[in-house]
Amino acid sequence: MNAEQVVSALNKRFPALAAHTPREFRIWSDFVEPKEFEAALRFAFDELRFGKGKHIVGTDEGEYIGLSYIVSNDENILLVLREKVPKAHPVVRSQGGLYPSMVLHEREMVDLFGVSVSGLPEGPSYPLPDCWPEGQYPLRKEWNPAYFNKETMAYEPPKEEARE
Amino acid sequence: MIASILKVLLFPGLLFLGVYSFVLEFVDRKVYARMQNRKGPPWYQPLADMLKLVGKKVILPNNAQKFVFAALPTVSLTAVVTAFLCAPVWGMQAVTAYEGDLVAVLYLLSIPTLCHFLAGYNSHEVYSTIGAFRTLTQMFAYEVPLFMAFLSPAILAGSWSITGIAAFYAARPLYVLINLPAFLIALLTSQSKLERAPFDAPEAETEIVGGALVEYSGRYLAYFRATAVSELTVMASVIAGVFLPFFTGNGAVDFALYLVKTFAVVLVMVLLRATMARIRIDQTLKFFWSVLTPVAIAQMILNLLLRGGLGL
Amino acid sequence: MSERNDHKVVLPIGPQHPSLKEPGSFKITLDGEKVERAVVEIGYNHRGIEKACESRNYTQDLYIIERVCGICSHAHTSCFCQAFEDMAGLEVPRRAYYIRGIVGELERLHSHLLWLGVASHEIGFDTLFMYTWRDRELVLDLLAQIGGNRVNYGVNTFGGVRRDLEADLMQDILHVCDQLEEKIKYYADLATTETTLIARLKGIGVLTPEDVRHFSAVGPVARAAGILDDIRVVEPYGVYKEIPVNAVTDDHCDVYGRTLVRVKEMLESIRLIRVMIREIPEGPISVRAPRKLPAGETLRRVEAPRGENIHYIRSNGSDMPDRVRVRAPSEANWHGMSYMLEGFQLADVPIIIAAIDPCYSCTDRAVSLSSGRDEQIASWDQLRLFGIEQYKKNGIDPGSIAIRPF
Repeated sequence: MNAEQVVSALNKRFPALAAHTPREFRIWSDFVEPKEFEAALRFAFDELRFGKGKHIVGTDEGEYIGLSYIVSNDENILLVLREKVPKAHPVVRSQGGLYPSMVLHEREMVDLFGVSVSGLPEGPSYPLPDCWPEGQYPLRKEWNPAYFNKETMAYEPPKEEARE
Repeated sequence: MIASILKVLLFPGLLFLGVYSFVLEFVDRKVYARMQNRKGPPWYQPLADMLKLVGKKVILPNNAQKFVFAALPTVSLTAVVTAFLCAPVWGMQAVTAYEGDLVAVLYLLSIPTLCHFLAGYNSHEVYSTIGAFRTLTQMFAYEVPLFMAFLSPAILAGSWSITGIAAFYAARPLYVLINLPAFLIALLTSQSKLERAPFDAPEAETEIVGGALVEYSGRYLAYFRATAVSELTVMASVIAGVFLPFFTGNGAVDFALYLVKTFAVVLVMVLLRATMARIRIDQTLKFFWSVLTPVAIAQMILNLLLRGGLGL
Repeated sequence: MSERNDHKVVLPIGPQHPSLKEPGSFKITLDGEKVERAVVEIGYNHRGIEKACESRNYTQDLYIIERVCGICSHAHTSCFCQAFEDMAGLEVPRRAYYIRGIVGELERLHSHLLWLGVASHEIGFDTLFMYTWRDRELVLDLLAQIGGNRVNYGVNTFGGVRRDLEADLMQDILHVCDQLEEKIKYYADLATTETTLIARLKGIGVLTPEDVRHFSAVGPVARAAGILDDIRVVEPYGVYKEIPVNAVTDDHCDVYGRTLVRVKEMLESIRLIRVMIREIPEGPISVRAPRKLPAGETLRRVEAPRGENIHYIRSNGSDMPDRVRVRAPSEANWHGMSYMLEGFQLADVPIIIAAIDPCYSCTDRAVSLSSGRDEQIASWDQLRLFGIEQYKKNGIDPGSIAIRPF
C-alpha cells in the first residue's frame, strides 16, 4: 500500500484528519480531538498495517498541547497522526497497548509537558530526575530555564511575572 | 637444622616464592599486554601495586563476621605458601618431600578457592554472593579432572610424592609423552582454578563487578592478590615437576631448567587468557564434565593398564 | 543487599557499573543465574537539548545537535541540516553530498569498531577489544584530519559542508581503508570461527522479525532479524541517491547476528568510501543558507551507525526553531530491552545490553550541567570571552555581536 492509497483510505474514514503526502514516504495530518485520533490510530494499526510506533512529538500549541504520533509500516512510510488536548486539563489515553514502543515517549510527555496519560503501565518515570519539582514541565513554552535553580532544584520566576 | 630453616624461609622457600611470584606476575601482565598490542607495565609494577594496596585503608562491611573476614586472606595465603615447599626447585629434591605430598598439595591448593567462596559469602553483598556461588560451582567443575590429571602420572610412576614422580620420569623421559592428555587437562584446569580467562566467570568484571572479593580492600585484598600470584607460581611449579620432569643432576642447571619450564607454562596460560572470550558458568560446567572428565578417566585407566603392562 | 523473601535476588546493574559506559540502571531479578525480570531505568543523561534548541538560532542549534551523541555526531547534524535545507529549499552542491557521505561512512566505521571492542570486553575478550580500538584510532585520526576533532568534526553546515577534502587527504583515506579492510576481514573470520566467541553470542538476546516490528527496533538489531530497514536503501538521501548501498541483513535474530551485520557493514562502508572518492565531482562545497526558515514543519531521517535517526523541526518563520525533536536510534531499541533480557542468564545481560549499541546520551538527548564550582570548568561567559580574545589576536573583533539571552 503506497502513500496515496493510505491517504485516500484515511481521508475517506476520517475527513477531519485532512491527510496529505507532500513528499514521498511522509503523510501528515491535522490535529484532531483525542477520540477521533484514537479511532484513526486504531484504523491505521488494524487496517493499514502501520505496526511500528516510531515516536511522539509533543508540541506546545498555546492553549493546547499537541501530541503527534509517528507510526510506520513495512514500506517505511512515516505517518503522522496528531491529537490535541487543552493545556489546562491535558488527559490522553496511552497507546502502549497498540505500540509498546510508545510507552517510553508517553512517559516523556508526562514529565516534559505535564500530560497525564491514563493506562500507562507501571514503571519508572522518564527522563527527569526523581527530585524534579512537581508541576514543572520544561518543554512548555512558558517555562524558562533561566529561572530554574540547579542547586535547590526549585523553579523561581521573578516576582512580577509570578503576580501576572 | 639452620640450613633447613634457611631453605624454608629464604631459598627455595618463602622469599624465593615471593620474588618469583612477582616476576611471573610481571611476565603474565607484560606478555598479555604485548599480545594485545599494548605497552604493558614496567618490571616493578606488581611490587608497586602490592605495596600500594597494603598501605590502603581497610573497610570492613558492617554485616560481615569481622574475624572470618580478616582471617580468610591469611589462611589462603598460608595454604598456598605451604604447598610451594613440596615443589622441586633446586634440583630434583623439594624442600619437604614425603610420600603423598602431591595429594597434600592439591588439597592445600583447594583452600584458597574455599576461602574465596567464604569471603564472598561472608561479605553479604549481592555481587559477592553471586561471585561466591560461581566460585564454588566452578570448583565442582574442575576439581575432578584436576585431581585425575595430576594423579594419572603418579599412578604410572607408582609414587605419590612430586619428588618421587619427578625422579621416576627423569629416569624414563619418554614416558612423559603418555601423560600428554593429562598435561593439557592440567593446564586447562589450572587456568580455571586460578580464575583466569576463559574461565573467569566467578570474577566477571562486567557482570558482577569482581565477584567474591568485591568488598575486600587494603591489606586483606593485598593478601588475596598475593595468594593469586603465588598460586600461579605454585601451579606452574607443580605442573613443571609432574609433567615436565627433565633434570640434569646439577642443582644450578636444574634450577635454570625449572625457570624455563615455569616460564613456558605461564606463557601457555597467558596465551589461553589472551585468545578466548569468557565462557558462561554453565558452559564451563559442561566443558569440564562432558569433555575433560572423560578424557581424564581414560588417561587414568590407560596409566593403570600401562603400570601393569610395562611391568613397573 | 537486596534479597527478597522468596529467595530471589534483585541485582542492580547501574547507574554506575563496569559494564556500562554511561549511566543507566537495570534492576535484574534473578532466579539462580537466570534473569526472571528486568526493569530498565534510563534518563540519567537528560540534558534538555530540545529545550536549549528552542531558545537559540538555527546555526547555534547545529552545534548543540552535534553534541547529542559523542559517536554519531555527524549523523545527527546530517539529519538536522537536511531538514533545514528541505524547509529552506536549498540545492546542496553534489560535492558536499559526497563529502557528507564519506565522513558518514568513516563515522560508521569508527562506531562499529567501537561497538565490536565494547562487545568483546563485555564477554571478557579483552584482546579483541584492544585490537579493534587500536584500529579505530586510524579512523579517528582521519576524522581529526578532516574536521580538526576526533568526535565532533563540525563538517556539516546548512547548505553544504565546511571543510573540503584535499586530494592527498583522500589518498590517506584510501590508504587507511586498505589497512582496515584487511583487519576487518580478519575480525569477520574470527567472528565465524572462534569457538568461545560464538558460544557466548549465539542464541542470546533473541528478537524475531515479529518482535522487531512489535517493539519497533531499528538498525543492526532489525537487520539481524532479516528486516531491511536501512534508510540509505529504503529512502536514499544525499549521495546514496547516486551510489546504491548493498544492504546487509542476517537471519540469526540474536546477538551473533548483530555482530555479523556490523562487521559486514564495515566492509560495505569501506567499499562505499572507495566508490565515493573515485566519483567525487569537482565544484563548490556549500551554498549560502538563509538565517530564517519559512513557517512549517518537516520530518527527516538518515541512517546513523546505530539505525534510523529521525529529526523533526517546526519553524514559526523566525530564526529560532519552534520545536526540535530528535529520535535517536538507540531510543527505538530500548523498548524491547526487558523482553530481550528475560529468560537468559546473568552472564548474558551485559552483552545483550551492549548488542543494541546503546547510547544513553542519544536516548536522553541531554550536555551535563556542572555546578560551576570547579575552576577547571569554564562557564559559558568565560568561554565566550576566551573566544573573543582568541579572535582579537587574529585581528577580528566579534565582541560587538550581542548574544541572545537564554
